[in-house]
Amino acid sequence: MLKIEHLTKTYGEKKAVDDLSLHIQKGEIFGFIGHNGAGKSTTLKSAVGILKFDAGTITINGHSLLSDPVTCKQELAYIPDNPDLYDFMSGIKYLNFISDIFAIPSAERQERIRRYADMFELTADLAQPISAYSHGMKQKLAVIAAWIHSPKVIIMDEPFVGLDPKASHLLKGMMREHCDAGGAIFFSTHVLEVAEKLCDKVAIIKQGKLVKVGTMEEVKGDDSLEEVFLELEAE
Amino acid sequence: MLKVLLKKQLADVFKSYFYDAKKNRMRSKGAIAGWFIFFFVIMVGMMGGMFTGVSILLCGPLTEAGMGWMYFMILGGLSIFMGAFGSVFNTYSGLYLAKDNDLLLSLPIPVRTIMTARLLNVYLLGTMYLATVLIPALIVYWAVAGLTASRLICGILLFVSVSFVVLLLSCVLGWVVARISLKLRNKSFVTVAASLVFVGAYYFFYFKAADVVRDIIANAVVYGEKIKGAAYGVYMFGRIGEGDWLATLIFVAVTGILFALVWYLMTRSFLNIATASGAIKKTRYVEKPVREKSIFGALLSKEIGRFTASPNYMLNCGLSTILIPGAGILLLIKGREICEMLESVLASRPGAVPVLIATILCMLTSMNDMAAPSVSLEGKNLWILQSLPVIPKMALRAKASLQMLLTGIPVIFAAICAAVILPVSPALRALVIVTPLAYTVFMAMYDLTIGVKMPLLTWTNEIAPIKQSGAVGIVIFTSWGFSILLGGIYMLIGYKIGPAAYLVTWTVIYAAVALFLLRWLDRKGSRILAEL
Repeated sequence: MLKIEHLTKTYGEKKAVDDLSLHIQKGEIFGFIGHNGAGKSTTLKSAVGILKFDAGTITINGHSLLSDPVTCKQELAYIPDNPDLYDFMSGIKYLNFISDIFAIPSAERQERIRRYADMFELTADLAQPISAYSHGMKQKLAVIAAWIHSPKVIIMDEPFVGLDPKASHLLKGMMREHCDAGGAIFFSTHVLEVAEKLCDKVAIIKQGKLVKVGTMEEVKGDDSLEEVFLELEAE
Repeated sequence: MLKVLLKKQLADVFKSYFYDAKKNRMRSKGAIAGWFIFFFVIMVGMMGGMFTGVSILLCGPLTEAGMGWMYFMILGGLSIFMGAFGSVFNTYSGLYLAKDNDLLLSLPIPVRTIMTARLLNVYLLGTMYLATVLIPALIVYWAVAGLTASRLICGILLFVSVSFVVLLLSCVLGWVVARISLKLRNKSFVTVAASLVFVGAYYFFYFKAADVVRDIIANAVVYGEKIKGAAYGVYMFGRIGEGDWLATLIFVAVTGILFALVWYLMTRSFLNIATASGAIKKTRYVEKPVREKSIFGALLSKEIGRFTASPNYMLNCGLSTILIPGAGILLLIKGREICEMLESVLASRPGAVPVLIATILCMLTSMNDMAAPSVSLEGKNLWILQSLPVIPKMALRAKASLQMLLTGIPVIFAAICAAVILPVSPALRALVIVTPLAYTVFMAMYDLTIGVKMPLLTWTNEIAPIKQSGAVGIVIFTSWGFSILLGGIYMLIGYKIGPAAYLVTWTVIYAAVALFLLRWLDRKGSRILAEL
């Protein structure tokens, strides 16, 4: 569903991502781990079309992100590491804005908003301006906005930061449900326990280069993911 | 401790002098010194100079008529007004809505010290504003009427007492503003309306000031008797400056009592004030039927939402949306007189009147530049547009459409008003409508082009892209130039081809350039936006 091939991105002299190739398939929750500044966010942003990259190709369901970005973006959703949403809108206006962009019929969007907002206990706050939201509330809104248009691929940068335990639990369930229904999820995280329990596949990136990728069993073997990660970091 | 807190408070008030919001870094020492010199020149040179002029104008005639008290009543009143209103918003944000209350209250600092630092900050700022009026007034009085020991001491006591009156008023007004602000729903519109009323009132009094001063001088005795009869307290207040000990003692005592009362109330309620959430009343969400919008409709609504949510954006980039219809109404009322006057003055330039009317409308159009900072205003939200399945050119067109909509509709109204009063052919009347409209479209494209070419996305305060960005600076200066060209060239050579042909030529030029810029925005501009 999401194919990244030979992705390279440089910032000035520094290679943030160096010849990285990944393939996220239907039904997979794909975890992406690495230390701060390893190139995770750069890869995710490139995969969403926010960041122009120097070399490589990215395809979503066979559509090239470079030549057909709008079709690709129709099929994906992105949640950034910091949910900077439109502060001047209320939560409901933001969700309707996203729904309008994806041409979701009104009855359908209302049903989804009701379902997800109730699930995250955000319904009562939907009329409030986003500027009055806490970090966690913004993150919940970003999650709802990502799920509202039923994307095929969801790309998330540290999605659990700021979420309370209940919301984190809900999000994990939604991720599993999404992939069981034929979708795919590619997300970065520093919480290795979460990655270990949740992910079907995992990739470890170090200084822009992919150092290990595969199913959870292939990557960690009999060790814990934390041990494998720390070992690779030490090399 | 108090000194440290006060230093922090003042640094916060003057933070724009130390910190460059546009570049998101501290200013150089030279730039800081430059900003403070500029501030000094404004406060002492301009404001102090203006009130010195008013003092000189009033002092001589009033003291000669034995009505020095009226001189002090007027200037003392003005200084209270300046001090209280000059610092009311600072009081509101610094005393009642301080963002660092939680932080300070968590530190080992006595609550009383925090409150004292806050009040001292309000006191110093209020005193700074009132000083621009009262210090020149006292010096002029001492120079004109002569300096005696009682006048000197009473004058100083007047200054000190007035500074405490200003502090009291600031506290009360700041509290009122805070209460109103918490209750308001459409805060941005009310802020814009209040700012416009304030600016309007300022200019009204500014233009009427000379007449008022002349009237006071001419009828000083009559007004004096009326004030003594109806408001003896006000008369006594004026007497302080003249060196009246009894009036001084009464005023100092009353001020002292009132201040003690406010201090007592503040110490009792400061903790409540400081820990109040300041949150606006929660709006309860009620599910309503939703009208679906097209992608363009959603993008345009988003732009309108951003514009109407920010008083800064509305006041700095959209004032002409109100001014242009105002000009239309003025034309309906006074237009024929203005046209006759212009025709007689510009007899050597036949047909100049419709061109000049169109020029004025274009100049007013130039004042609306909401498209220029619109790309920069995306700031940290840019990822939303970039990650959504939106063609960048559509996002840009929505930004240009906001300006065309909010300027075009008022321009149509004003241009129709102009067409109604102009004694010209129907074709020329139509051109007076069409030319400013073409100019409106051209301006929207031009402003957006500059905005795309010079984006500023790293801002921390929206004032940076709205007022201080290079894009907005360029747009403001050049757009005025473009509009002036329309009238200027006609005066020089354009009149030779007649107003109709001249306006048609410019309409074609505006349309052609707008079309060219639209193509540039659709192609290159879109690429730039996608890659920002």
